[in-house]
Amino acid sequence: MPSEEQLAAERIERLRALAKAATSAGETDRARAYVRRARRVAERNRLSLPQDFKRFTCDRCDAYLKPGVNARFRTRDGHVVVTCDCGGHARYPY
Amino acid sequence: MPLTPATLTRHELIGRPVRVVAASNPDLVGIAGEVVMETTRTLSVEGSTHDEPRVWQVPKGEATFEFTLTADGDTQVVTVEGEQLVARPARRTERTGDSKWR
Ligand SMILES: [Zn+2]
Repeated sequence: MPSEEQLAAERIERLRALAKAATSAGETDRARAYVRRARRVAERNRLSLPQDFKRFTCDRCDAYLKPGVNARFRTRDGHVVVTCDCGGHARYPY
Repeated sequence: MPLTPATLTRHELIGRPVRVVAASNPDLVGIAGEVVMETTRTLSVEGSTHDEPRVWQVPKGEATFEFTLTADGDTQVVTVEGEQLVARPARRTERTGDSKWR
């Protein structure tokens, strides 16, 4: 029996890549649906989301963030501030 | 573990090339394209008719699908009874005793 958790992790990674591609193609609503699906899979399997998934998705509106397209990435004193087009902010250190 | 015909029914279907090979509604047979969305009872397939892009929403329960898998350069065609896919998208992964693949 293949490990269910591994399968779930693969699904999350695949959905992340699909969301990224959909955003590049201008299908932002589709990308949002993929991000939500990935979050749901992670939740059901009690997995934490990968770091790049956390950093490139909006906690407020579930958009996949593409710098310069639908989000601003700005460095501040010791941290990066990400602003989504919806107005949501996120910060992480560097 | 990578995607294999045995795990297909529990893996992510979005983004995969698919073709409807049989369906109770004859209009659905022959639909081909890429899966773009999934709900509990349907798959949305994006393809084109007469060079116009189009999305069809195909009921899983009444159709037989043919998925094309590509791994390490070789292609595999897997036929799946849509019945096996009827489940909430995020919960499909948790099902055991799957794979009646041909
Ligand atoms: Zn947002």
